Amino acid sequence: MGYTISAPPHIKSSKSFRSINMAKILALIPLSLVSVYFFGIPALGIILASVLAAVLTEYGIQMITKQKVTIKDGHAAMIGLMFALLMPPEAPLWIPVVGAFFAIAIGKHAFGGIGSYIFNPVLVAWVFVRSAWGSYTTLTSIPHMGQLSDLVLENGAGLLVDVSPILLIGGVYLIYKKYIEWRVPLVFALTVFFFNQAIAFFSSVISLVQEGVLNPLMYLATMFIFLKVTDELSYVMIGVVFFGILFLATDSPTSPVTKNGRLIYGLACGILVSIYGYFGNYVDGTLYGIFLANAIAAYIETKTLPAMYGHESMLERSYRRVMKKIPSSLKFEVVSDDRV
Amino acid sequence: MESKRLKKIPEKVIIPLKQHLGTICKPIVKKGDHVLIGQKIGESVSYCSSDVHSSVCGEVTSIEEYPNPNGNKVLSVIINTTDSQETVPFVPKKNPSQKDLIAIMQDAGIVEHYGAPTHTVLKPEGKKIDLVLINATASEWIGGKYATPKEYASQMIAALKLLMKASEAVKGAIIIRKDDKESIDAFEGVQVDGKALRVAPILGTRRLGHYFKDQNTNIVVASQQRIYGKNILNFFTYNVTGRKVSVGCNPTDVGVAVCGVKSAKALYDAVHEGKPYYETVITLEGTVDCPQFMLVRIGTPFKDILEGCNFNGEIGKIIANGVITGVAQYTNEVPVTKGTTRITLQTKEEVIRDESLACIHCARCVDACPVSLIPSRLSVLADQGRFDECRQMHIQFCIECGRCAFVCPSKIHILQLIRYAKNAIEGAYEDAAPKESSNLKIGCSCGSE
Repeated sequence: MGYTISAPPHIKSSKSFRSINMAKILALIPLSLVSVYFFGIPALGIILASVLAAVLTEYGIQMITKQKVTIKDGHAAMIGLMFALLMPPEAPLWIPVVGAFFAIAIGKHAFGGIGSYIFNPVLVAWVFVRSAWGSYTTLTSIPHMGQLSDLVLENGAGLLVDVSPILLIGGVYLIYKKYIEWRVPLVFALTVFFFNQAIAFFSSVISLVQEGVLNPLMYLATMFIFLKVTDELSYVMIGVVFFGILFLATDSPTSPVTKNGRLIYGLACGILVSIYGYFGNYVDGTLYGIFLANAIAAYIETKTLPAMYGHESMLERSYRRVMKKIPSSLKFEVVSDDRV
Repeated sequence: MESKRLKKIPEKVIIPLKQHLGTICKPIVKKGDHVLIGQKIGESVSYCSSDVHSSVCGEVTSIEEYPNPNGNKVLSVIINTTDSQETVPFVPKKNPSQKDLIAIMQDAGIVEHYGAPTHTVLKPEGKKIDLVLINATASEWIGGKYATPKEYASQMIAALKLLMKASEAVKGAIIIRKDDKESIDAFEGVQVDGKALRVAPILGTRRLGHYFKDQNTNIVVASQQRIYGKNILNFFTYNVTGRKVSVGCNPTDVGVAVCGVKSAKALYDAVHEGKPYYETVITLEGTVDCPQFMLVRIGTPFKDILEGCNFNGEIGKIIANGVITGVAQYTNEVPVTKGTTRITLQTKEEVIRDESLACIHCARCVDACPVSLIPSRLSVLADQGRFDECRQMHIQFCIECGRCAFVCPSKIHILQLIRYAKNAIEGAYEDAAPKESSNLKIGCSCGSE
């Protein structure tokens, strides 16, 4: 009787590349259905055309270059679906077809396929379509959260993805289930949401300085701006921003792998998106911002490689230097436990 | 949970003459000899070696190379058993001195489950030990040989005192697992030197040193998270004591001796009953219908253990020592050795047959790594043979826990690739070893790997 021998580990987690892609597609299906309900048949046409074009392109390329055909892993379908959601419903049907082809052919395979591309294929295709056929992809309306019900059904939706921000909650569930990593979306979201408050805070501080106010309490009071919901924030709470945070920025090949790197990457995404969004609009801002952040992801990764295990980081070193100077009578911490 | 013995004595036992790291034992029996239970059949020839005893009564049929659960062939004594349960007379030792204890350990063949003979861990040549740890984080043994949890706790404390005496260390600690309520309850309230014991959790920088001071004793029982893996000793030492063990060294270099529950129990038995180490408790895993713990004689072939279980379906894989880092066996003829802690069975359907894809940079391995490496990068570099770059990325720190390969959604054999690179680096840099690394010495290679 023969036994199988192999190198350890002998069990592996059930999550595979395929299941991760499928989970993302599943998380986007409710949103797609609502957009079809909201925009009617054109939206359905765009989604089907884009997904089909993406899958067929992948199949064609892999057949021609004699690679193993990997359309079953769902990656091409996922790219197609994501690209379709970034289309305005008025776009003619050939736009998603060309876009999906471009995403797979140039965005993914020209760079070397899964794991090798440096820009998110969805964004590559979007930027290409946006700049080549601007007239077809210009938004007829910029969404804006007027009242809370807009979170459930946005009446001013310009893109398919904007119809219902709340339905992107599937992405949060994927983070909870560890299909999507949490560092990038968390920092990204915090940065985007606090950027406007920070600007309001600084402008009020500057205006106080210009008025020549000397009372420190007045300056302290400006801190409360962080608790106030600014008008700008209603432009942030739209579907495409949530989509960018949960699905585009977390695309794994285009984000750094190091722990600190992912935090910095989230911050970079947030700042770029906010700058674009603050001075332009948050729809284009999100997509261009993440696209630019992709460009620096590799740099962030090589600069944040972890130090040797057990080494003190710069923060820990400076903390210890400060703590050494404080007399022990003032300390409340456990004393000298480093060595037995 | 009482552990069970096998219903019948195996027909044939295979006792490897090398069940430890170090020099192989010299056989002192020959073909045709009759041996008794507990009779010494292999004698150590150097300090870095540990004696081997027969676990059955019977006749030596041959001494030959035989498959070993670590995957290699090892010179083994093969004994055909008889029904008799005759043992050699066991002589307990009253009030042993430090020298006696070390001699008893080598004589009774007490070996750590990770391979090092216990006496070399406690009294390494040229190093001084000042702290003894018993790693009870894999606490499967609680039901193994003890009637009650309290008996387990008090025997462990007694064993720890013996270990401390043997190593001349002042301080000692038992480390148990945080989520293992059974053990925590067992140790809670046990009297040590007239004081009731409290189980101390290891949290952040509150390590053993804090509790030695806080509880004002020399014996502490602490609890911490479970750590598993192959080369975990250095990591374990750092976690528990805060002493950093540099790469290529082992805990004894910083004055810490790490022992297992099995060897502590074996020492206790050797001192109080005079019994050598010829029985061990193993755990069985998988879709098996048999007791979880089993008390088996060392040298019992896996085949006999498996016959005692009702295994449903065809066996696809037999794994010694855990599914994450264990070694898959090519034959069921291999014997249980002192280093065997568990046997895992997988059916044909359970055996994984995934194909590796390209890395998708999902960073799951980075999150899983307990020693903050970047396994995804290391595996790519190792695959391309760029070992120098692996070394710059501190590949030697890898404790080979296998978590990266476990979580990988692309099913890349990360652990295998890292081991490959580590082997290549060790081979390349051995002659040019820098002075500060103390264990790259030739000859006796006791201690952890």
